[in-house]
Amino acid sequence: MIKLEHISKWVNQGNNRIFLLKDININIGEGEFISIMGPSGSGKSTLLNVIGMLDSADEGSYFFNDQPVHTLKEKQRSLLYKQHIGFVFQAYHLIDELTVYENIETPLLYQDTKSADRKAMVGDMLDRFNIVGKKDLFPANLSGGQQQLVGIARALIAKPKLILADEPTGNLNSKQGEEIMEIFTQLNKEEGVTIIQVTHSEKNAAYGNRIINLLDGRIEHNR
Amino acid sequence: MLYSYLKIAFRNLGKYKGFSAINILGLAVGMASAILIFLWISHEISYDRFHEKKDRIYEAWNKGSFNGKLSCWNTTPKILAKALQSDIPEIETTTRVNWTDSYLTKFGEKTIMMKASVVDSTFLQVFSFPVLKGDSASALMNPTGTVITLSTAQKLFGNENPIGKILELNEQYQLTVTAVVQDPPNNSRFQFECLVPWSFLRSQGGDDDYWGNNSTRTYALLKPGTNAETANAKLVEFRKKYDRDDPKGGFFLYPIERWRLYSNFTEGVEEGGMIEYIRIFSIVGAIILLIACINFMNLSTAKSEKRAKEVGIRKVIGAMRHNLMGQFLGESILIAFLAGLLAIVLVQLTLPSFNTFTGKIVRLDYTNAWAWTLWFGFILLTGLIAGSYPAFFLSGFQPTKVLKGAFKKTQAAINPRKVLVVLQFTFAIVLIICTLVINKQINHARNRNNGYNKDQLVYYFMTGTTEKNYTLIKNELLSSGTAVSVTKTSAPLTEGWSNTWGINWKGKQENDRTLFDRFCADQQFVTTAGLELVKGRDFDLETHPSDSTAILLNESAVAAMGFKDPIGQTLQDNGRDWTVVGVIKDFILHSPFAKTQPMFIQGAKGWFNVIHFRLNAANSVSENLKKAASIFKKFNPSYPFDYTFVDEAYGAKFEEEKKMGSLAALFAGLTIFISCMGLFGLATYMAATRFKEIGIRKVLGASVASITTLLSKDFLTLVLLSFLIASPLAWLLMNQWLESYAYKTAIDGWIFLVTGVVSMLIAVLTTSIQAIKAALSNPVKSLKSE
Repeated sequence: MIKLEHISKWVNQGNNRIFLLKDININIGEGEFISIMGPSGSGKSTLLNVIGMLDSADEGSYFFNDQPVHTLKEKQRSLLYKQHIGFVFQAYHLIDELTVYENIETPLLYQDTKSADRKAMVGDMLDRFNIVGKKDLFPANLSGGQQQLVGIARALIAKPKLILADEPTGNLNSKQGEEIMEIFTQLNKEEGVTIIQVTHSEKNAAYGNRIINLLDGRIEHNR
Repeated sequence: MLYSYLKIAFRNLGKYKGFSAINILGLAVGMASAILIFLWISHEISYDRFHEKKDRIYEAWNKGSFNGKLSCWNTTPKILAKALQSDIPEIETTTRVNWTDSYLTKFGEKTIMMKASVVDSTFLQVFSFPVLKGDSASALMNPTGTVITLSTAQKLFGNENPIGKILELNEQYQLTVTAVVQDPPNNSRFQFECLVPWSFLRSQGGDDDYWGNNSTRTYALLKPGTNAETANAKLVEFRKKYDRDDPKGGFFLYPIERWRLYSNFTEGVEEGGMIEYIRIFSIVGAIILLIACINFMNLSTAKSEKRAKEVGIRKVIGAMRHNLMGQFLGESILIAFLAGLLAIVLVQLTLPSFNTFTGKIVRLDYTNAWAWTLWFGFILLTGLIAGSYPAFFLSGFQPTKVLKGAFKKTQAAINPRKVLVVLQFTFAIVLIICTLVINKQINHARNRNNGYNKDQLVYYFMTGTTEKNYTLIKNELLSSGTAVSVTKTSAPLTEGWSNTWGINWKGKQENDRTLFDRFCADQQFVTTAGLELVKGRDFDLETHPSDSTAILLNESAVAAMGFKDPIGQTLQDNGRDWTVVGVIKDFILHSPFAKTQPMFIQGAKGWFNVIHFRLNAANSVSENLKKAASIFKKFNPSYPFDYTFVDEAYGAKFEEEKKMGSLAALFAGLTIFISCMGLFGLATYMAATRFKEIGIRKVLGASVASITTLLSKDFLTLVLLSFLIASPLAWLLMNQWLESYAYKTAIDGWIFLVTGVVSMLIAVLTTSIQAIKAALSNPVKSLKSE
């Protein structure tokens, strides 16, 4: 599903070139659950953003479902990730002015889904995460765990094949974190959704079937 | 999708209530001012545009050179119309309009004062005043016929048919109503309640064939397809035929459409007029609107940076750039729309006072499709401009950067927002300086010695039987102790009604065309008016019966005539010899802003219209007026006691300048208000964006004062810069404005000093509230947010 070949990304500081990613080669198949680990500043989030097509590499090739992403224009890229990828963030990144229902609905609006279909799909999501009673609340009225549930529901609403999660449990207590990881496992096992998460916690990393360790922009271990 | 945008737009408005209020109110005030100015301008340019034949109607103008200057004016000899019609083939017909006078009008028990214009029988064919009853062609043919307006008809006859009713005018003349016309609209030069036919004037001996008497207005209707230039070319020969000695003088036809807006002539060349005010106000209106838009843009963009996160999220979850642009533009258009609605409400609320102030009757025409289009167009434009920054700039952000919080505003030395603030304050400061200079000029002229004593001096127009009973009235005013002195004059002391270059004296150069103001008074003129006598004496018929042909000169006249010893000199005017008995100091007859003119005052053989009397200071004013009223009632029973205080009439000479001053003050106030709203909004925004910085500084030991200074300093620098730009600009502008006055004030340095200090103070007050609030906040709060 995902093939990264010799991916490098850098910034220039004076005459020095500082590598954020250096010569990354990864193959990820459909249905995998990958955890990316590494210390702060090792390039985990950058790698995730490159995979998510929110950022582009300076060098190397990236194939998504055999499509050469590195040759696509920004507009084509965003069309591609819109269709296939859902994002989950550490800080949830819900829109404060929208209710739970509306937050989950928003991606469908951008995909021009019909009103009746939208209603059904959002209803399913609310059911599935047990947040029907919260649908008219604003994010500020929810706990962190609930907000992250909404964030996941929003990522899943468009039925993506790939979920990218940047420290999804980073702002949560351990119990809430466990719940989220359970949901990810369930998604991965039962629906075959490919999941790539960035995490600091060995415990959460263990939920995945493969761990990629990064250090200073390079892959240290690829277990 | 649209619904979702609207929803979030409204929620955003609600979330930042103060911010939204400032934003909407500021824009609404700007739009309301622009609408008012627009209404004023469209009323001004609509003057006399409603006449169906307006393209063919011309007014005959006169020109001649006096005191070495070529002047143009629009009063003509009465005989001109006839001569034009017979000599100029391009002219289809002419119509004359004489001065409008008030007549005491009686019908049965009802008595009203009616404003009547004496006009030619062709008046209703040339001008479009729709005839409601009667026949327009014959209405003004009969010398005893009269045409009245609808409202006059209703006043006099109620719902009865007015045609054929007989009115009694000034207790002397009987006129039969022949037609009823619609009331003349507010935007016409002709304001009458009644039209009296020229043949009536002729039958009363009020007509004359004298080419030297420029006293009536003459209008010409050209034949279709002809042009005024050919007619004007023929008028050169025309002039020679009818004996004029001035080589540059003569007549010309001037389109009636240009009368209201242009018709200021310098050296015979059309040079502006009302159009200059229209230009000034268009500019001012545009500036206020611009300032309001700038504000709106500034505040919108400031707020939109807060929404960078939302942009990032939306992009990540699938928004395309055009979606975001649509959202931001839609939001700002919505706000502009709300402001537009509020502006209409504001205009509707202020319209009555606006009408009182401008003396106009304008209203909002809600059925005017063109105005609505303009309104919507404007809202759309403002919304688009204000929304363009977030729409194009923010929507282009890389979501990863925004979401990571890496999005930081650049603190560049020149950023657009700073430029906009400087622009706003430059306008505001220019307007403040203008207001101060205009007021200083008014006060300067107010403090000028007018040359006579205005206090307790009253005048009364000699209506009805006043002139007949003048001696009786005078004696009773004096004997009852109501007045201390009485004189009758040709015109009020504050108005020049007559002038001439046709006066002769010993030693006059042959080509001397000095223009003299002509005034008449019977006796005790100097005493009653409180003038300053330089040489000789006042008129005194009792000791010197020959004073009926005496004349007084002012000092300018003595200088113009070149007299070494003026007393005893003889002047010839209107076929009579006048002997100089006294010389007075110049007094202000016309504008207090202009130089005084040479002037002479003729004795009792002159012509008289007005009684001036000085009230007895020993009694109270109300007591005096009560007695005066009963005396005038006794000798002129049919007419109301309409009197005027000379100091009030004199005060009216400042009306135009005072209006200018109030307008400048109003606009300065509005600009400041809107600019301050913007500044306040920006200060709020800045305090919010530098929240963390402030927290860190406080933890490191900064005092509240130092933080307040830090935050206010930026804005003060901007205001200072505006002041430096605005000062020379205002100076140039005001210097040019003062050029048009002969009697002018100086633009002092203190004006700039005061303006500078005041604008700084306003800026400090506006920003420091936010700065202090930010400085007082607990640093723990700001630092834990990350």
